[in-house]
Amino acid sequence: MILNYIKIAWKVLLRHPFYTFITLFGISITLTVLMVVTSFMDHLLGVHYPEGNRDRSLFVTSVVQKDTTRSSRSSSPMSVRFIQTYLKTMQTPERVGMTSMFTFANAYVNGKRIKLFTKYTDADFWRVCTFEFLDGKPFAEQQIKTGDQVVVITDDFQKQYFEDDGKTVIGREVEIEGLRYRVIGVVKGSPATRPYSYADVYFPYTVPKSNYERGNMRGNFIAILMAKDKSELTTMQSEFQQAMSRIPQSGTEYGSKYTNFTIKAEGYADQYMTSFFGDDDSRRVFFFTAVAIILLMFMGLPALNLVNVNVGRMMERASEIGVRKAFGAPAKTLLYQFIVENIFITFIGGSLALVFSFVIIQLINNSGWIAYADLAINPTVFLVSLAVCFLFGLLSGVLPAFRMSKLKIVDALKS
Amino acid sequence: MLRHFFTLIWNKRKTHALLIVEIWASFLVLFGVLTFLLSNLRNYREPIGFSYEQVWSMELTNNQDTTDVPAKVESILRRIRAYPEVESASRMSSNTPFTMNNMNNSVSYQNASTLAEFYRTDESLYRTLDITMQKGRWFGPQDRSARYTPLVINQKLQEKLFPGENPIGKTIKKDDTHFWKVVGVVETFKGKGEYMNNTPAIFEPLTEKDWDMSILIKTRPGTDATFEANLVKDVLAMVRNWGAEVTYLTESRKTQHNLTLVPVIIFGIISTFLLINVGLGLFGVLNLNIARRRGEIGLRRAMGATERSISLQFLGEIWVLASFSILLGLLFAVQFPLLHVFDMDAGIYLLAMAVAVVVIYLIVTLCAWYPSRQASLIAPAVALHED
Amino acid sequence: MIKLQNVEKVYRTSSVETLALNNINLTVNKGEFVSIMGPSGCGKSTLLNIMGLLDEPSQGHIEIDGRRVESYQDQKLARLRNEKLGFIFQSFHLINDLSVLDNVEIPLLYRNTSAKERRELAREALEKVGLSNRMKHFPKQLSGGQKQRVAIARAIVGRPEIILADEPTGNLDSVMGNEILAILQKLNADGATIIMVTHDDSMARQTHRLIRLFDGTQVQ
Repeated sequence: MILNYIKIAWKVLLRHPFYTFITLFGISITLTVLMVVTSFMDHLLGVHYPEGNRDRSLFVTSVVQKDTTRSSRSSSPMSVRFIQTYLKTMQTPERVGMTSMFTFANAYVNGKRIKLFTKYTDADFWRVCTFEFLDGKPFAEQQIKTGDQVVVITDDFQKQYFEDDGKTVIGREVEIEGLRYRVIGVVKGSPATRPYSYADVYFPYTVPKSNYERGNMRGNFIAILMAKDKSELTTMQSEFQQAMSRIPQSGTEYGSKYTNFTIKAEGYADQYMTSFFGDDDSRRVFFFTAVAIILLMFMGLPALNLVNVNVGRMMERASEIGVRKAFGAPAKTLLYQFIVENIFITFIGGSLALVFSFVIIQLINNSGWIAYADLAINPTVFLVSLAVCFLFGLLSGVLPAFRMSKLKIVDALKS
Repeated sequence: MLRHFFTLIWNKRKTHALLIVEIWASFLVLFGVLTFLLSNLRNYREPIGFSYEQVWSMELTNNQDTTDVPAKVESILRRIRAYPEVESASRMSSNTPFTMNNMNNSVSYQNASTLAEFYRTDESLYRTLDITMQKGRWFGPQDRSARYTPLVINQKLQEKLFPGENPIGKTIKKDDTHFWKVVGVVETFKGKGEYMNNTPAIFEPLTEKDWDMSILIKTRPGTDATFEANLVKDVLAMVRNWGAEVTYLTESRKTQHNLTLVPVIIFGIISTFLLINVGLGLFGVLNLNIARRRGEIGLRRAMGATERSISLQFLGEIWVLASFSILLGLLFAVQFPLLHVFDMDAGIYLLAMAVAVVVIYLIVTLCAWYPSRQASLIAPAVALHED
Repeated sequence: MIKLQNVEKVYRTSSVETLALNNINLTVNKGEFVSIMGPSGCGKSTLLNIMGLLDEPSQGHIEIDGRRVESYQDQKLARLRNEKLGFIFQSFHLINDLSVLDNVEIPLLYRNTSAKERRELAREALEKVGLSNRMKHFPKQLSGGQKQRVAIARAIVGRPEIILADEPTGNLDSVMGNEILAILQKLNADGATIIMVTHDDSMARQTHRLIRLFDGTQVQ
């Protein structure tokens, strides 16, 4: 029976190539955008190289100090001192990694400048992240203790600085801002959209210029608390809360007083939102309503379009429907036929969209727009799109189908 | 005739409801995207107010070294100025052109008050960045011993604080003990690039105590990265364990522009596809409509309608339909300037509305053109005897 | 009033050529009530279409009110249809989305008549067919006979001199059919020239003159 429906659907599509084109165009473009967007969201928020442990980690990225008497507010990452005293001493985390934020440098080689994102990290950073070492190894606790001037670089930087002479670079030196560092490891680079792991060069946090001794509480470092298991995240969260509650609320920082402070440990997606909207909930609500409206418009318009075209198309087929009804096809069967037809065409549109999105994602990945971009059509994205497909089919099919099935035989035959 | 179309559309409003909603939604999407686009376009057309070619910015970081920082920065600046490759160099607060940094403060004069971007800089910035003075002059050595701190403002700030007055020589209160005195006015200064709003700006002189560590360097044409490497090496030799990072303003301008352009382009592409989609749909619906109304067309022809009036009828109907939708859309859109949603000029909203209206009429006309033409070519004798 | 000379109509498709009308010579005088009869497919409708300027003959001349119309372009033809001719069809061809009054007004839309005048003329026409109480109704709310009366009102609202009726009673029962015929006869008595295509002998017999067609040729 279903096969029969599909056969008829196929014939109907071929009979009206123009409407088929309109419908397919609408469906495939909308779904393509949807798939690319979800894929991009997944790229931003999902678990990906080199942050392969995101799903069992909490991120402590900033501390906010407020002075209620002068209504001033300072917010920045934490100091090394703070992380070592309060976070490294926690019991639940398997590891607590630490890295600096937003530090930059230039390196010069053969009259050209290489812009560098730098990171000053501890040894646990390499255990919390899942970097792939192409050569050499990360720095160890011992090297940090002695303040060795060593560096882990990315394959990209290796190519630029050593101009790919084929020899191993381990043990060779790079000069960055007037200081020389010995290369001890080469990692596969990470996309710039992952601010907690992205850099071109990684130094032990004890090298000069890292400013790790600065600050009591505020500094330039963030911490990643990695639990042994996803299930321990809540335990870790409550331990974190307790640890923080033991710290006195007021104090002095960089010469100014503060009367209270707030600090949060959040999952990756949550902290991502926080970094965008701060603690202001109303802004978050505003943003999400805006996104919802845009999405509704975006999904709604093509759906509406499809409904419109479908209604018209069904009307055109009124006499066919009349004949079918006259020969005794019950209203339900007709309804099924229309729904099958619509779902059928939506799935064709969906497969087209899959192809388009694949092409676009490849284009984005290869365009160099985001270095090391690793957008992909992953199964979740595909399933979400498929579900959307289905919804589309129902949405644009049911209403016209319902109208049609209610059509009186006489009217249908007449027109 | 128009009334006849209205009656027709009105009597068929239930069938047309979805179509109206579709055009309405398209109008709103278009309005939103256009507002976004036009505000950027208008900003872009306003001059940036300074030149950035050949200008480098050097960000110094003192790291652990905290002794005599201002003096060290001054000596670095002197060293930089001594190079033959350097035309001019100026110290500046961290909100150098095309960076993300901001230094906002509110200033007031008599009853007027406004938020302004503060740039702390030295006496040569106008040469380094080629800023043209509109009135007065840049602050110079003659101001060093003056009672009031000299100040250069931009035209926008003049409009806000001194409407209809000559601001030169006017004093602005800084706090209870300090006053500023305006010595010059520059035309525009859009520090965040062409796409930025032209907002009020104030330039005040650096003092010996200020730690501001950005240096803008205007190099002679033909200067390249080899000099840059030497420069950085020399500077770092003067101050051990400091950092010195050079960027070209042309590069940071590109980054700053991409921040604006990428969303504009993405929104543009998406809404273009949306509109093509809607257009195709409309085309399809109209085509079907005409197929369904062949009898009516034949009848009208028999009653004396010319081919042209049949064409016009279908165009007219879609125009009426579009007008309904646009009217509904305008009711929504007009709330934006009325309620001051987002900090945007009412003029931009109105222009966006006008353009959106035109574009919608254009789209529906384009979509109705071919079907209407087809309708007018229907042979009445055939159409009348089909059923 | 209407004069056809050697009119021929050939329908061509890619493979077949059909002769729908063959050498028709016909004159309808002012004030006449003529009926055209013949079996299905004999070309009566084609003849009516040609007389109504809805279709062009393949050959021959047409004269309406003393004017040769072969050379007329779309605009002039439309004008002539609008001013001189009124049409009535078997399937009424009312526009379902317009009220009775709006339907009747249609011919007046295509000439320069003010809205007020249109209303008045339409009302008058509806009164003549006895439907002044149904002006605000929509076609769907009317019976077949009423629909045809609306169509007649629409045909006469522009005061044409010639009314072309294509099986006006074909979709109606005999009582309603007679009613319609009575109205047409009254219009004829008031001065209108009427040409009616019909199947019905008894109807045809009540007109002044009968033209019989067979296979595109005039036989009577």
